[in-house]
Amino acid sequence: MRRFSRRRASQMLLGLIALLLASTLVFLYLKSSRDQTATYTQSRDLIRQLQQLNAQWDSEVLKARIAITHNYDPLVTPLSDMTRIWSELQDRDTYHNPADLPGWQASQAAYVAAIQEKARLVDQFKSHNAVLRNSLAFLPTAEDDIQAQFNQIDDQGRLQLQGVATDTYDLLLSSLEFAQVTSDERAADILVGLGKLAINKESLPSEFQAPVDILSNHISLILREQPLVNSLLERIAAVPVAERLDDLTTHLNQDQQNADLVDHQYHRYLLIFSTLLVVLLLYLAVRLLRSFAEINRVNRALQSANETLEQRVERRTQQLKDAQSELLDSARQAGMAEIATNVLHNVGNVLNSVNISAELVSRKLRGSKALGLGKAMQLINAHQGDLGTFLTDDEKGKLLPGYLNQLVEAIAVEQQGMSDELAQLSKSIDHIKDIVSTQQSYAGAATLLEPINIGALMDDALRMNAGALSRHHVTVVKEYAQVPQILGDKHRLLLIMVNLISNAKYAMSNLSERPRQITLKVEAQGEDTLKISVKDDGEGIPPENMTRIFTHGFTTRKEGHGFGLHSCALAAVQMHGQLSAHSDGPGLGAVFTLTIPLTLAGSSS
Amino acid sequence: MSNVSTTRFSLVLALCLCTGAALAAAPLDEALKALPSVPLQDPAKVELGRRLFNEPRLSANNSLSCASCHHLETGGADNKPFSLGLDGKPVPLNTPTVFNASLNFKQFWDGRVDTLQAQIEHALIGPVEMASDWKAVEYNLSAHPDYQRAFAQVYADGVSAANVQDALASYERTLLTPNSRFDQYLLGNTEILTIKEKYGYQRFKEYGCIACHQGVNIGGNMLQKFGVMGDYFKARGNPVESDLGRYLLTGDEEDRHVFKVPSLRNVAVTAPYFHDASAKTLEDAVDVMFKYQLGRTPSQEDKELIIQFLRTLTGEWAGKPL
Repeated sequence: MRRFSRRRASQMLLGLIALLLASTLVFLYLKSSRDQTATYTQSRDLIRQLQQLNAQWDSEVLKARIAITHNYDPLVTPLSDMTRIWSELQDRDTYHNPADLPGWQASQAAYVAAIQEKARLVDQFKSHNAVLRNSLAFLPTAEDDIQAQFNQIDDQGRLQLQGVATDTYDLLLSSLEFAQVTSDERAADILVGLGKLAINKESLPSEFQAPVDILSNHISLILREQPLVNSLLERIAAVPVAERLDDLTTHLNQDQQNADLVDHQYHRYLLIFSTLLVVLLLYLAVRLLRSFAEINRVNRALQSANETLEQRVERRTQQLKDAQSELLDSARQAGMAEIATNVLHNVGNVLNSVNISAELVSRKLRGSKALGLGKAMQLINAHQGDLGTFLTDDEKGKLLPGYLNQLVEAIAVEQQGMSDELAQLSKSIDHIKDIVSTQQSYAGAATLLEPINIGALMDDALRMNAGALSRHHVTVVKEYAQVPQILGDKHRLLLIMVNLISNAKYAMSNLSERPRQITLKVEAQGEDTLKISVKDDGEGIPPENMTRIFTHGFTTRKEGHGFGLHSCALAAVQMHGQLSAHSDGPGLGAVFTLTIPLTLAGSSS
Repeated sequence: MSNVSTTRFSLVLALCLCTGAALAAAPLDEALKALPSVPLQDPAKVELGRRLFNEPRLSANNSLSCASCHHLETGGADNKPFSLGLDGKPVPLNTPTVFNASLNFKQFWDGRVDTLQAQIEHALIGPVEMASDWKAVEYNLSAHPDYQRAFAQVYADGVSAANVQDALASYERTLLTPNSRFDQYLLGNTEILTIKEKYGYQRFKEYGCIACHQGVNIGGNMLQKFGVMGDYFKARGNPVESDLGRYLLTGDEEDRHVFKVPSLRNVAVTAPYFHDASAKTLEDAVDVMFKYQLGRTPSQEDKELIIQFLRTLTGEWAGKPL
C-alpha cells in the first residue's frame, strides 16, 4: 500500500516535471520563434521607403522652386504616401525592448512633428512659390507693356522719358537678379528703384499709370515673396525628417541587436531545456523498459502460477471425482446394506417360523407312539413258542392286538402332523430362498439394462420392506397404470423404491391418530416418460428443507446417515431421470416422484 | 492549342490597340492632368455608402442627408450661396462640390482635414451642418434591420462610426466626373476642343491661373491667400469671421485669408463661387481672380477665351453631362 502511494507520488512528480519542461519549452519557443528579423527588415524597408519619398518630396520642392513644372500634385503625393506608409509602420508591432520604448516613442513623435512641420512649410512654400513664379514669369511681359507704351510716344517724348525707361528696365533686371541672388543690398536697390518708379510715374502720361502700377505691384511681390520662398526652402531643408528617420532606423537596429541578444539567450535556454527534456525522456524510457521487464517477469510468474493452479485444480477435480465415486460406492453399499438388512430382517422373520416348525417336529418325534411298538415287539419275542397261546390265553397276550390297533392309529395321526409341519418348514425355507434370491438378483448387478416389469419390481420392493410395513401397520395402496415392460436398471430402480418406501414408512412413524397409508403410483407421462410416485401421509417436509433434502448428509432422523435420498437422486440422474419431492407443508405428507425415460423393452436389443 | 491561339490573338489585339492608341491619342504631358478612373472597391460597400449619403437619419433631427446639400444632378453642390444647416440657418461657407472631392489634398475650404473620413465626421457632427453625434447615428442605423444586414454584409463589426465613414468615403471616391472635353483633349483627342477653347487654355497658362489651378483636379492641391495682389476683403466689404480662412484653424498670421485652392472641374455648373459665394457668375469669378490673385488686367477677349476653356472642364455624372 505504501509502496503504491509512493509510486503514485513519483509518477505525479514526473508528470509535473514533464509538464513544466514542456510548457517552458513552448514558452521559449514562442519567445524565440517570432520572426523578428523579418519584422525588422520590413520595418526598415518601410522607413527606407519613407526616406525615398522624403527625398523625392525634396526634389519636387526644388523642381517647383526652379519652375520646371507647374503641377503641384507631386508635392502632395509623397506626403500622402508617407502618411500611408507611416500608419502601416505603426500598425506593426515592431518594437521589443520595453526599457527603450519611451525612447522609440519619442523618436516616433519627433518624426511626426518633423513631418507635420515640413508639410506645413511645403504648403506655405507652394502658396508663395506659385505667386512668386507667376510674377517672375510675368515681369518681362509687364515691362514689355510699359515699353510698348514708350514706343507709342513720339521721339521727342521718348527722349524725355528715356531715363524713366532705363530706370524701369534696370529695376526689372535687378528684380530678376534678385530672384537668383537674394541679398539685402539688392533688396535695398530694388526698394530704391521702386521709389524711383513711383516718382517717375507722376511724370508719366496717364496711359502709363496702370502698367507701371502692375509692374511695381509684381516687383514688390517678388521683393516680398522671394526672401520668404528662400527662407521657406531653407527651413524645409532644415526640417530633420531624414534625420528622424535615421534615428528610427538606428533605434530599430539597436532594438534588433537587443532582441537578437534576448533571442540568443532564449535559444540557449531552449537548448538547455531541450537537453533536460531529452534526459527526462531517456530516464522515462529506461523506466519504461524496466517496467516492461518487470511486467514480463510478473507475467511469467503469473503464467507458471496459473499452470500450477490448473494442475492443482485438475488434481483436486480428480480427488473430487474419486470422492464422488467413493461416495457413490458407499452410497451404493449403504443401499445394499439397507437392502441386506431388510432381507435379513425378513429372513429372520421366516427363520422364526422355521425354528418353531423344527421344534414342533422334534418334540413330536421325541413323544412318538412308535416307542409302544417296540414294547409290543418285546412281548411277542418273549412268547415266540407259544405265540398262539399267548395271544389267546395270556392276559397280556389277549390285550396285545387291540393295543397294536390303537398304536397304528396313533402313529398314522403322528405322521400326518409331522408331515404337515415339515411342509410348513419347507415353505418357509422356500420363502427364505425367495428373499435371498431376490436380493441376489439385485445385489452387485451393475448398470445393466434389462426388461423390467415395473409392477413386479414395485412388489419386490414392497416385499423387501414387508416385515417393517406389517410391523408398523402400514397400508399400501397400489395405483399401477397399465405400463409396458421397460428397459431399465433394475438394481437402481429397486434401490430408489426401497429407499422411498422406507422413507415413507419412517415419515409416518409418529402418526397415531389416523391409519398409515402409502400410495404407490405408476403412470406413463406422454410417450417417453415414466412417472413413479410414492406418497405418504406423514410429517411432510418444511419448505426450508425442500432444497436440501437431496444433498449429501442431510437427514431428519437421529440414526439417519443422509445417504438415502442423495444416492437415490444420484441413481435417478445416472438413469437419465430425475427425482423430485413435493410437500404441501409440515404434517401434510409428501410425494416423491421419480421420472425416468420410458424406453420400451422391445425397442432396443 | 486553343489557349495558345487565344493568347496570341489577345497579344496581337493588344499590340494593335497600343499602336492605334499611340497613333490616335498619346496623352499630353501638361501641368493639368486627366481625371483618373474610379478606384476598384467593394460594390456592396459603395452601395451602402450611397444609401448613407442619402440617409437623413445621419442628422440630428432626421431632416438632412449629405444629398440635401450635395445635389449630384446639379454639380455636386446646391445652387444657394449658403446651404441651410440643421437649424434652418445658412452655414457660413459656400458648399463645395462633392464631385472629385476625393482628389483634393485636403477637405473643406480651409483644408482642415486630410481625409474624406474626417470630412464626413466634421460634416456630421458640425453644429451648423448635421449637428448629430456618432452614438445617435449608430443607434438610428442599428434600429433599421436593412442597415444592420447591409453593414453585417460588408463589415465584420456591423454598424459603427468608422464603418459609416468608410462606406461614405468609398462612395465619395466613386463620385468622379469623367469624360469632360478637356479630359478627352488631355488623353490625346486634341480635335475635341475648338480653336478658341485651345486659345483659352493657352491664356489660362499664360496669365498664370495654372500656378494654382493645376494637377489632376485642376486645383485642390494647395492653399493660397485670397488677395495676393490686393485686399479683396476690404474691396468686398462687410468682413466676416469666415473670411479669415485657415487662420481660424491655426491662428498663424501667415494663414490669414488663406483657403484651399478649389478645383476648377465642373466650375461652369457650380456657381456661385468662392467661399463667400460672392461671385455669381464665372465672369465675376474670373475678374476677381485676375484682379486679386494675378494682379493683371486681361483683355476682354482673353477673358472670354479663358471662360470658354473653363466650360470644357465640365464632366459627366451617371453617363450624362452635368
